[in-house]
Amino acid sequence: MKPVIETQHLSKWYGNVLGLSDVTLEIEPGITGILGPNGAGKSTFLKLITGQIKPNIGTCSVNGKKIWNNFSLFSFIGFCPEQDAFFEELTGWQFMTGLLKLHHYSPAERETKAQKALEIVELVEDKDRIIKSYSRGMRQRLKFAQAIAHDPEIIVLDEPLNGLDPLGRRKIIRLIKSYKGEGRTIMVSSHVLPEIEAMTKRIILIHQGKIFAQGDIHYIRDLIETHPHIISIKCSDPRLLASNFIQEDFILNVKFSSQENTLLVETNNRDKFFSLIPALSVKNNIEVEEITSPDDNLQAVFDYLVGK
Amino acid sequence: MTIKEKGYTHWEGEFLDKKFPWWPITRYGIKLTFRKKFFKLIFPLSLLPAVVFLAGIYVSERLEDFKFLFRDSVPILQIDPAYFKTYLAEGFMIFVMVIIVIFCGSGLISDDLKHNALQLYFSRPLKKRDYFLGKTAVIVFFLFLLTLVPGLIFIIMKLIFAGSFKFFLSYPWLPLSVIAYSILVTAFFSFYTLFISSLNKNRRYVAILIFGIYVGSDILREIFYDIFHNHYFSLLSIRANIQQVGAVIFDQRTPYPIHWILSLLVLIAICILAWFVLKKKVRGVEIVK
Amino acid sequence: MAQNSKGKLSFFLISLKDIYAFFFFMGKKSKKLKLFFLISIIPVVIALIIKINQFFSDRTPIQGIYIFNNMTVVMYLQFLILLLALFYGTSVCSEEVEGKTLTYLTSRPVSKSALLIGKYAAYTTLIIVLTTIGVTLSFFVMNLNDLLNFSLYKILLRDVAVLSLGLICYTSFFTFIGTIMRKSILFGLIFSFGWENVIQYFPGSTQRFAIAHYLKSLLPVPKTGRFSFLMFRLEPSPPLVSVFMILLITGVFLGLACALFSWKEYIFED
Repeated sequence: MKPVIETQHLSKWYGNVLGLSDVTLEIEPGITGILGPNGAGKSTFLKLITGQIKPNIGTCSVNGKKIWNNFSLFSFIGFCPEQDAFFEELTGWQFMTGLLKLHHYSPAERETKAQKALEIVELVEDKDRIIKSYSRGMRQRLKFAQAIAHDPEIIVLDEPLNGLDPLGRRKIIRLIKSYKGEGRTIMVSSHVLPEIEAMTKRIILIHQGKIFAQGDIHYIRDLIETHPHIISIKCSDPRLLASNFIQEDFILNVKFSSQENTLLVETNNRDKFFSLIPALSVKNNIEVEEITSPDDNLQAVFDYLVGK
Repeated sequence: MTIKEKGYTHWEGEFLDKKFPWWPITRYGIKLTFRKKFFKLIFPLSLLPAVVFLAGIYVSERLEDFKFLFRDSVPILQIDPAYFKTYLAEGFMIFVMVIIVIFCGSGLISDDLKHNALQLYFSRPLKKRDYFLGKTAVIVFFLFLLTLVPGLIFIIMKLIFAGSFKFFLSYPWLPLSVIAYSILVTAFFSFYTLFISSLNKNRRYVAILIFGIYVGSDILREIFYDIFHNHYFSLLSIRANIQQVGAVIFDQRTPYPIHWILSLLVLIAICILAWFVLKKKVRGVEIVK
Repeated sequence: MAQNSKGKLSFFLISLKDIYAFFFFMGKKSKKLKLFFLISIIPVVIALIIKINQFFSDRTPIQGIYIFNNMTVVMYLQFLILLLALFYGTSVCSEEVEGKTLTYLTSRPVSKSALLIGKYAAYTTLIIVLTTIGVTLSFFVMNLNDLLNFSLYKILLRDVAVLSLGLICYTSFFTFIGTIMRKSILFGLIFSFGWENVIQYFPGSTQRFAIAHYLKSLLPVPKTGRFSFLMFRLEPSPPLVSVFMILLITGVFLGLACALFSWKEYIFED
């Protein structure tokens, strides 16, 4: 498939701080997730490919054309920025129709498209309230709405699920997935792996301004699977539970925490481990109070992968 | 239950009040002001008149040596209360103060409104009074550096250069005048600046208002005086009112033939209006209508 | 090729129109415009006070048109239009950068030049309307007993035209300043109330480095009297030259602002 977005040795500095380093990528139609911890360079990358900032080195093109100062490309690009900023004194409706006006639609078209977009994000009832009075979730949904209102072929979403409640997240994820079937190109950035996982299998991992992994999510998952995880279990009889654990080969380490009745277990197979706990607790009549994963975060995964 | 007593774990000890809870606000405000590139140029320039006047005090003690600079032995460098009034209470110095408060004061409250920081302030053991004190102290710091500090240094250096206390014995009330005038002008500009800063979240707009109201009040005075030839229109001008009161503090003739009490009342009225508006505008919760 | 250029030009003009409409609507709604409107009405209040005083006074009243002319210069030309142009001119770019709303505009199929010029035009229109209302009301109040003297209306038209030219020119200059500097207000204040006020009193060609010189050249020099100090040392340029220079300055600064805005990247402060 012909790539829609291409970057060649893309690099960006902010003074002495390296935002992005030597990124060469080809993005094809479909959903591509950009995953990375905070400060990894996701927003920088998305701003570069949407022409909001210009690269210090390298090139970035959309449909074979350079994006910087090429405003004609924005007819089919929709961008949902990360920052929470609006024309606060406008209502949601005025905001939507005003921005659609800049796409040179007729008044009737503007109203239709604005109405459709607001319906999708469920803001129709609040469309005549000023944006200043919107909640965090409503503002996020409005940002999403302005990105999709003009039916763009390419949609770039920078942390679109920030500030949304679980129901809102599910709806947006479902919507994004529906775009894939329409042949659009969607780029979504996030620092939460399960969010990206729910939308797409194609992931680009970015860390400290560099792309250090890209491809199918299963590949990433496999890497993570082999990454030893530490799980903390608070139960009525940690020593009994520990004695059962150490018999399994996927348990690498067992430690007793300084906290009362808490066990720290290191495993390289989370799925097997979690399916074992209920069986053991029932067999030995152990009450399990709490299970947490102190290193179950993207930073830990990244640290592991970078170290690999 | 006060904010200090709230918490997930109960503190068995005594709740101690910090002596100056407003100090971190002041320290941060001063730091922020000095970070501005333009300010690093403007502030030293604003101290230039003080250097010139200090040089004048030096020359006044060495008039014989500098006689060649003056055609006649006109005592143009007489160091008296009028000299202090010329430095502290003339239009130029008041204008410089306005420029300085634009830098240090325009964003004091407007930036907090813009970033919704008031909730952060008032969810800490900080009273509204401490908040205002902290913000005011930023303006006081810079204006005292322009008024009180140079004024007192002039007196001290005059005594040192003269080598006697004659000057002090001739005008023993002068240090009090310098202090009183500095407090008056600083208090007024603090209220004025914080009041305008609380009106809007946009600090550019606030800066324009601070400057525009000051200059506009003077223009109004000029227009009305030119039409009606009535000196009472001087009460419309912020600069004229400050100069009226300043002249009285330094025991000089007032520039306008109206009672200085009226000018003082106008300045106090502005401060009271500012206080009422500030009390209403600065609160922990924003109400969106 | 010619058709391509024609197409680009018409697209540019359509974009300009849409942006103008968007920002004109937004500017009209804003609270700041209401406050500036109140400020621009102050001369009307002054005019009312003067007129009421004249009505009750025994003294021979000063000619209304004389007061009107001089109030136009003192209140509008040397103060209000500078403040309005400074605020709205610097806002063209700074407002979007400080408010982080620039992204919404630069991710639309409109050129950056059209964005800048469209917003500049919208804001300039608003402040010209504001000023015209204030000046016209002052005129009517000051010349209440002489409204049937149609020759006076020429003076009103002239003053409105001069103030409008002043707003167009100053706003373009401050738009340029707002594009290059983050903190443009203080520079603007020093320029408006420092440079513009002081330099025009310099003899010879030095005066020609102030926009105010060309604006005052379009107004009659008052004979000796109270307000003649405002025109002291003015060596006026011919009217056509003055208008040409004002339009040239406007064009140059707008052009520079467009070029800079298109070339520069704006990184939002976190």
